[in-house]
Amino acid sequence: MESSRGSLVAESLEALPLARSLAGPSGEVLGVAPGPIPEAEAARVPADRIRVIDPAAPPGASTAGAAFSLVEAAQDSNASLVLVVGSARGRELAGRVAARWDAGLATGVTEIRPGTQGWTVVRPVFGGRATQELALEGRKAVVALRPHAFSPGSAPSTPPVIEHRAAPTLPPLATGGGVSAEAPVEAGSGPSLAAASIVVSGGRGLRSAENFHLVEELARSLGAAVGASRAVTDAGWRPASYQVGQTGQSVSPQLYVAVGISGAIQHLTGMMSSRVIVAINSDAQAPIFRVSDYGIAGDLFAILPALTEEIRRVRGGPSAPASR
Amino acid sequence: MEIVVLIKPVPEAETRLRPDRGGAELDPAGVKFVLAGYDESAVEQALLLKESAPGTTIRAVSLGPLARSEEVLRAALALGVDHATSVEEPPGVAHDPVQVARMLAFVVSRYSYSLLLGGKQSGDEGSGCVPSAVAEFLGVPDFGSVTDLKWDPIAGRFTFRQSLERTVLSVEAPPPVMIGLQQAWNDPRTAKLPMILRSRKAPIDRVPRAEVEALLARHPRPAVRAVSFRLPPPRMGARMIEYSSPQDAARKLVRLLTEEAKVL
Amino acid sequence: MPDFSLSEEERSLQDLARKFARTEMAPHAAECDRAGRFPEEIYRKAWELGLMNLNVPTEYGGSGLTLLQQCLIVEELAHACAGMTTSIIANCLALEPILIGGSEEQRKRFLPGFCSEYHLASFCLTEPGGGSDAGALKTRAVRDGDHYVLTGEKCFITNGPFASLYTVFATTDPALKHSGICAFVVSRDTPGVVPGKEEEKMGHRASATSTVRFEGARIPLENRLGGEGDGFSIAMRTLDQTRTPIGALATGIAQAALDHAAAYSLKRETFGKPIGEHQAIQIKLANMTMELRAARLLTWQSAWTIDHGQRGSLESSVAKCYASDASMRIADEALQIFGGYGYMKDYPVEKLLRDAKLAQIYEGSNEIQRIVIARQLLSAYA
Repeated sequence: MESSRGSLVAESLEALPLARSLAGPSGEVLGVAPGPIPEAEAARVPADRIRVIDPAAPPGASTAGAAFSLVEAAQDSNASLVLVVGSARGRELAGRVAARWDAGLATGVTEIRPGTQGWTVVRPVFGGRATQELALEGRKAVVALRPHAFSPGSAPSTPPVIEHRAAPTLPPLATGGGVSAEAPVEAGSGPSLAAASIVVSGGRGLRSAENFHLVEELARSLGAAVGASRAVTDAGWRPASYQVGQTGQSVSPQLYVAVGISGAIQHLTGMMSSRVIVAINSDAQAPIFRVSDYGIAGDLFAILPALTEEIRRVRGGPSAPASR
Repeated sequence: MEIVVLIKPVPEAETRLRPDRGGAELDPAGVKFVLAGYDESAVEQALLLKESAPGTTIRAVSLGPLARSEEVLRAALALGVDHATSVEEPPGVAHDPVQVARMLAFVVSRYSYSLLLGGKQSGDEGSGCVPSAVAEFLGVPDFGSVTDLKWDPIAGRFTFRQSLERTVLSVEAPPPVMIGLQQAWNDPRTAKLPMILRSRKAPIDRVPRAEVEALLARHPRPAVRAVSFRLPPPRMGARMIEYSSPQDAARKLVRLLTEEAKVL
Repeated sequence: MPDFSLSEEERSLQDLARKFARTEMAPHAAECDRAGRFPEEIYRKAWELGLMNLNVPTEYGGSGLTLLQQCLIVEELAHACAGMTTSIIANCLALEPILIGGSEEQRKRFLPGFCSEYHLASFCLTEPGGGSDAGALKTRAVRDGDHYVLTGEKCFITNGPFASLYTVFATTDPALKHSGICAFVVSRDTPGVVPGKEEEKMGHRASATSTVRFEGARIPLENRLGGEGDGFSIAMRTLDQTRTPIGALATGIAQAALDHAAAYSLKRETFGKPIGEHQAIQIKLANMTMELRAARLLTWQSAWTIDHGQRGSLESSVAKCYASDASMRIADEALQIFGGYGYMKDYPVEKLLRDAKLAQIYEGSNEIQRIVIARQLLSAYA
């Protein structure tokens, strides 16, 4: 499991019902929390036991310590499968754990089932332009899950048993690093790209940096993260951290809204594994429409405000003062 | 400073993906393998560090079928990397990140380094776990999703930002350290023509396949086997929404997303 | 058997040129064409990457590419914009006389500066009264002590307004015809060197073309290439070298035309199916493909011949003439496939047709090329 500021992140809960169903009625699910978590939260975790590593590793530490604890937990419980949250950190952790535990390894996994030997997993590759099915043929496997690929499930009838385990002391060479500053992503403006279940991205079709707020307002109405095509970040309308695509972020939200993005392959590699794709573009011939589920061709400067307004109306959020 | 950059040959972005005849792998016929994506950023980052810290040397290491890995190494040499090592990949391990990391760590451990650099994930399978597994084998700390990497010569530390899902950390770490790069903040440079010509003649150190095969033989593992490589069913193209006004378009889209796609 | 495969080195040069063409040239091609703008920032970038002065040997700071390597680069650049390509390769044409006719001292004096800094040079042969009949040129060079005094006017000079150096052909005595011609290296800042204003052209509009007038410009003796009367031979041998890349340039335009036409033929539908499924269009595309491939092979063969130490007058004339004629036909057919849209400036094909036209005219018109080809042919039977 992964936590942020002492709370479990939502994606952590996606791994547990899956673990539960894979373990079967006789199997055991052990949740490992990388630091103390509130009791109420622990009670919602559908696991038999939760092992709390105490104290939590300081932010900015390498994943070496967490990997040590996780391998220790896997060995103690004679586990056959370690599921990891598929966050950026989670994938790093998965690499270390598999190396240390000498287990099979796959990341970004969207499906997992027992194979004839070991496990069979499915994962999107090439930014969602293809899927790969792998057989991890050993008895031990580490699998990092793709965020949003599994549903979080509900709280168990009996709360898990909590156990505490001391954090390991590793040589500094293995852990390294210290944090000098920590800033929440995009303070207050919405979730980050990788974690978001809805992403709204803007492209060259917005014509200037001044118009980009239209995308941000739509994102706000949806509670979505804001992304951009490379044309936008290259032009400096928004920082490089907004870029979705081959050299930017890969995202796989439930809903991806591409506004004024023509759909170059470099962008598609990075959002094609989104569940539902909506394109809004003035050019009805834009290639983005070929890969989208829903399309609106037309003047995005008229459509965006109307869409923002409609979503606010449906969701009961604050209405924009002007237009109607 | 001595930097080792790990680079992987990947199909160029425009490649038309196709399963091979067995249906288990990407069909490599006609595919051009290049230095791209995050790995290209990693090379650019190494070059920027070299420019800021005179006396720095950069070695690029690449694992893969020899012809492919040496092509990306030549691309790195043309960009200004000093040395290159190719590791010929034995058959059957391409999909096992742990064995890949084991081989890379084995090769990297021959060199002295204060910084190991790689893309945070490869441009093809994008596992994103090889750098940390290499770090685990070498016993060094690792940090992924890194931007703004700099060397502070006075403190003798690297400083960088780590962009995680909910937070951006400013981190300081002493060498040696493994860094998985998110993106160079500058556009990766283009190799100049004279450097391209020179890189074609530059020596590449080769690690013979027998050496890595012996290593893997000492650490036998159950296989990670490719079962299938599939293209998603072609999206049929967007359902285009016909509308009488922007408001009408908005209403129709929201209804479809709510009632049909059920994502709102 | 001949080997048509490219080496990894050749491929990597092609990749560099393709990348530059796609990322730096193509996005500005339409705008520069429309406005007739000379995008010097793009030429500077080309220089920085080593894509200018391709023919200058390494001992003078250049890349010393083979002609085949040059052709691979030129084709890729021309795919994005033939006009820009003409300006980028104009230095090769202007500096070639120094390589061919210059002494070691002159090469060392003139060439390294172009490789260590961005400068443009222009080749000044054609005159208002005649282009192809180079023996009849009228610009006078009058010896005055250790100087020559140049008087006359050159026209259609690529990069004329922006060049810092001109290689100029002038006659000491028009009555001597070919044997009176001398080649000079003329610095732009010589008093009496007057570039004219840019011409408005049909195509190649990203390239600048102007007259250059010489109003009693005094050129030091040490700037004469070769001896008095060597100029005609230097000019002809220069064109033997630079004609083949024009074949490559034409091939690049033709490839662009075919790429656009083929993609469009799959997208545009008539009578319920993409036009690419109609035989009328398929026949056009097949013919374009055959001609394109022939143009490329003739160009490569000419480059190969010259790279193997032969003069290649015949081969380069065949390549330049065939490739440019083919390019014209291919661009024309591409426009036809686009139909009415092809005639519109919003679509990229009408530019290709305008650009292709020049390749039939410059660096020796295709009529002159045919005379050269026929003479060589007949001499074998005489």
